[in-house]
Amino acid sequence: MSQQALAKPLDPSEIQNPDPLVVAFCCNWCSYTGADLAGTSRLQYPPHARIIRVMCSGMVHPNLVIDALTKGADGVMICGCHPGDCHYIDGNLKTEKRAEAIKLMLEDFGLEPERFRLEWVSASEGPRFAQVMQEMIDGVKRLPPSSYKTG
Amino acid sequence: MAAKVAEEWLNICGGCEVSILDIGDALLDLLPQLEFVHMPVLMDHKYHGQTGEGDPHKIEIPAADVGIISGGIRNEKEKAVALAMRNSCKTLITLGSCACFGGIPAMANMWTLEEMYEKVYRGSKTTEKSPTPNKDLPPLTDRVYAVDEAVKVDVAIPGCPPSPDMIKEALTCLLTGKPFTLPEKSVCDECPTKREKKAAGGDIKRPLDGMTFKQNAPWEETRCYMEQGYLCLGPVTKSGCAGQTTEAGEAKVPRCIKGYMPCRGCFGPVKKGANPLVDMMGAISSIGLKPEQVADRRALLSRYVGGQGRLKPLPAKPAPAKK
Repeated sequence: MSQQALAKPLDPSEIQNPDPLVVAFCCNWCSYTGADLAGTSRLQYPPHARIIRVMCSGMVHPNLVIDALTKGADGVMICGCHPGDCHYIDGNLKTEKRAEAIKLMLEDFGLEPERFRLEWVSASEGPRFAQVMQEMIDGVKRLPPSSYKTG
Repeated sequence: MAAKVAEEWLNICGGCEVSILDIGDALLDLLPQLEFVHMPVLMDHKYHGQTGEGDPHKIEIPAADVGIISGGIRNEKEKAVALAMRNSCKTLITLGSCACFGGIPAMANMWTLEEMYEKVYRGSKTTEKSPTPNKDLPPLTDRVYAVDEAVKVDVAIPGCPPSPDMIKEALTCLLTGKPFTLPEKSVCDECPTKREKKAAGGDIKRPLDGMTFKQNAPWEETRCYMEQGYLCLGPVTKSGCAGQTTEAGEAKVPRCIKGYMPCRGCFGPVKKGANPLVDMMGAISSIGLKPEQVADRRALLSRYVGGQGRLKPLPAKPAPAKK
């Protein structure tokens, strides 16, 4: 996939939060390697993400996501293996169920739905990682800074 | 020498005081060791001198070894009383969920003070519209506070109402100079019901909706309520309501479970500072129930713990972006 296939650049007038902070939980076996591939392939994506490597996306408890969002992160992304590819057989299916709960809770905490995203990225999908990251960060840039942001 | 005890009730229904009475026979053994020097629920003791001769800006509470506060802080008077209690008492105990976490009244924290006044005095259909009363009344605080948000608290006894056994235990510990702490365990850790398999699936049922149990059958034959599809807050609630001291051979059964009802979460979060709403939503989705079926999530899952910043008015939503 070439650079041109990635998302169109944001119109400057749309940007409400030029410097967001996005926390990305990436599973060790697929998505982190995918992110690595995006890096070694020198694919460009915005620098606002902080990648946290976890052994499985299924270990990302909703606590961690809500904590990140209520303590200053503008967005949180969980990346895991495609369904059926989980190194631990069904970890990512658990993630999928938890993601439903997280999406409901965004409402309870007064957060916009764009602030959370679950994506499947395999180890060979460097370009896809760059693309979903670009989309996620573009989405967060369109929102005002998180109301929980302090200082 | 008897230990001096001061008891104060703030924003409360009075149930915690009834729990003290509910200690029963054991209270008779405790009483000679206790001397109540201040207790508005029992004694007519004034804050500014018995005939009002004292300083009207200073709340007088006699010095005591042990202070017990029940109820959260809803207005400025209660805040001042909590401060005065702290200054007069060597050891301060918060009794009940309201004092420990804000309790039921803290559900009002989901709205701003103005919204609440508007609803209570003008917004409700059955209410005759009237201005918000403000004459000769202490102003309300901006939200409901747990006591430990205003003053330092030494011992917390949660529960709605708290368990008489635990009050007895805490008082005995204090009298003998032992520390009193609750273990960081969940209600599920103590619950004797039978767990078969994790994934329950299906819809979340209402508490009175066809629970299967055999009354007086051994608890090991009753299936976990959560697995039966009821919303039980056991996984995210601190244990202890079953009582810390049981006679030998008697299983510790959490109080609501004993009454064939799912846990309501009155003992507050397992770990200090945790948010049961988030933990419970995670638990519900992990065991295979449908999280979207939980009605009124914020209020239901934070029912007793709305203070300490857990329930807040939601930030105003910006107008939806044009598509």
